[in-house]
Amino acid sequence: MTKAGGASAVRPDLRRRRKGLSKLEQGYMGFFLILPWLIGFCVFKLYPFISSLVYSFTDYDLFKGVQNFVGIQNYIDAFTKSKNVKALQVTFAYAFMTVPLKLIFALFIAYILNFKIKGVGLFRTAYYVPSILGGSVAIAVLWKALFKSDGVVNTILTMLGFESINFLADKSWALFIICLLRVWQFGSAMVLFLAALKGVPEDLYEAASIDGASKARQFVSITIPLISPVIFYNLVTQLVQAFQEFNGPYIITQGGPRNATTLISLIVYNTAFKDYKVGMSSAMAWVMFVIVMVLTLISFASQKKWVYYSDDDGRG
Amino acid sequence: MSIAMIVFLVLSIVLLSMGIYGGTVQIPDAAAVEAGAKMPGAFAQSVAQLRNFYLMLGALVLFIVVYRFLFKRANLKVQHLMSTTIRYVILIGVGVFMVYPLLWMVSATFKDNNEIFSTLSLIPSRPTLDGYRAAMNDYGGDINIWRAMLNTYKYVLPRVLFTVISSTITAYGFGRFRFRGRNALFALLMATLFLPQVVLNIPQFLMYRKFGWVDSPYYLALIVPSLFAQETYFVYMLIQFMRNIPRELDEAAKIDGCNIMQTLVLVLVPMLWPAMVSAGLFQFMWSSNDFMGPLLYVNSPARYPATLFVRMSMDADTGFSWNRVMAVSLISILPSLVVFFLAQSQFMDGVTAGAVKG
Repeated sequence: MTKAGGASAVRPDLRRRRKGLSKLEQGYMGFFLILPWLIGFCVFKLYPFISSLVYSFTDYDLFKGVQNFVGIQNYIDAFTKSKNVKALQVTFAYAFMTVPLKLIFALFIAYILNFKIKGVGLFRTAYYVPSILGGSVAIAVLWKALFKSDGVVNTILTMLGFESINFLADKSWALFIICLLRVWQFGSAMVLFLAALKGVPEDLYEAASIDGASKARQFVSITIPLISPVIFYNLVTQLVQAFQEFNGPYIITQGGPRNATTLISLIVYNTAFKDYKVGMSSAMAWVMFVIVMVLTLISFASQKKWVYYSDDDGRG
Repeated sequence: MSIAMIVFLVLSIVLLSMGIYGGTVQIPDAAAVEAGAKMPGAFAQSVAQLRNFYLMLGALVLFIVVYRFLFKRANLKVQHLMSTTIRYVILIGVGVFMVYPLLWMVSATFKDNNEIFSTLSLIPSRPTLDGYRAAMNDYGGDINIWRAMLNTYKYVLPRVLFTVISSTITAYGFGRFRFRGRNALFALLMATLFLPQVVLNIPQFLMYRKFGWVDSPYYLALIVPSLFAQETYFVYMLIQFMRNIPRELDEAAKIDGCNIMQTLVLVLVPMLWPAMVSAGLFQFMWSSNDFMGPLLYVNSPARYPATLFVRMSMDADTGFSWNRVMAVSLISILPSLVVFFLAQSQFMDGVTAGAVKG
């Protein structure tokens, strides 16, 4: 951290010093530097964002354009048509299975790696490769090869004496397989946890074990609070990502069997580009946006209860 | 204990959501009844399966009990040995789970189609290059894997370059300058980090269609936004990095007569370089993996990038020539793999830079 040094702080400005900033360049120059971003933001983010909201109240057709203003009919459909309701349920099931599993797994592995393990770099790399490639179509294709009815996993199951399972045609399995593809990519969350765990000062553990705290107790009372900012960061980013998952279900199951893996992003895509109902599709997208926003806000509000930010990072 | 309560809450939400999900999909329909119809003897089979499952579970529980029993009676040295062993066993076990699918993919490209799903062995019994030979075939004369790869990098490389430059300039503006409305704009920037792309896709598509960018031979729809620093994550990451560069350096440069751009290029860029490389590498990976973008904005097969080509070849082939599909898939991710192994440490640093406050 840069501390405002006594020599450079010509004009003692308390508010600025508290933020740890020294003198910032004033004037219009900064504005010109961020102007490209601001223009891009208005054209590629803000305008689409607002027009999406406007379209959601119309019967916009992909080829015919807007014909009528339909009020909240699209939103009523979003919550009443069984196909749409199902997509909402499936997305929630997907997110609430994927995010906790992924985080718990990532933390568990990072915790083990944080002991003085030989070849930690090797393990870290092996665990990280799937998250760098996992979003690609090639991996989705691979996943299909692993879990198809005569795929690799079923070969293993048969060898162990189990009956083979038609994973991708079974309603409850198919969603789980899609989740598993995400959980398999726990590497990036793990790398973050590992960095955070390395930052927990050793002497805290020593003090705790002198006081007779067990390893489990140390983990709950020292490790978790000290890495809680990273848990929080992972939670929010993974949540936002999980609600947007598209590639996995689109390529592996095409949303089937019987819509069991049709996540919201998939139904948004299908409604707009297969049924040409842009208005309806925008409404679904907005429902998803509101859900993600509410969950994000809840996470941010809950921060006060469980996330501990240290004011001075003296050990950095 | 609040942590315990959160864990409990999360678990119960998971169970609940699985319950909701399980409860509502049980709509009886002809197809499901047909698929789920049990054959005679199915009951006996499921009992046998359950037995297998419980045997394995029992073995695991027994192992844990015995392990704990021995652990408590062992001296410190043996205890240390035992816990180290168990850690390595877990790490290697998980490592197999992570790496086996990838190795299997590589080996499948060298197997013939009869062998692919019949063994778990990673070494082909009759190694063959048929998969690769078939992978080189043209598709309707318009597209093959090499052209698809070339198409991919036609937009990935400009995107990487433009993203790094535009994000650095934006980060410089936010990180080093104070101007009217800076805080509000910065809040806006941070808010876009959490803005789901799904909300923007359709209007963006309509807009690009109006601009004539859909199916453009120069992949304009994929490249142009990167000129405007629209991948907010990188801007954020670079701002975080920039915070750790002492501002005295800028001031010294200013005193030495550097103007604002000279300060950026001559003083900050050399310091920021590792972060810029990380940003570039991540953009490289994400753009190469991007599927939704090309799916929306590339229509003619001759312009297909690798992601669309892989999917097309899978759709065309499913059922018979999996060695070809696997070979195409592997070729498509090979550049990403090579880049990753050459620049691993930058990736690890890049991941941690954005999240952990420096």
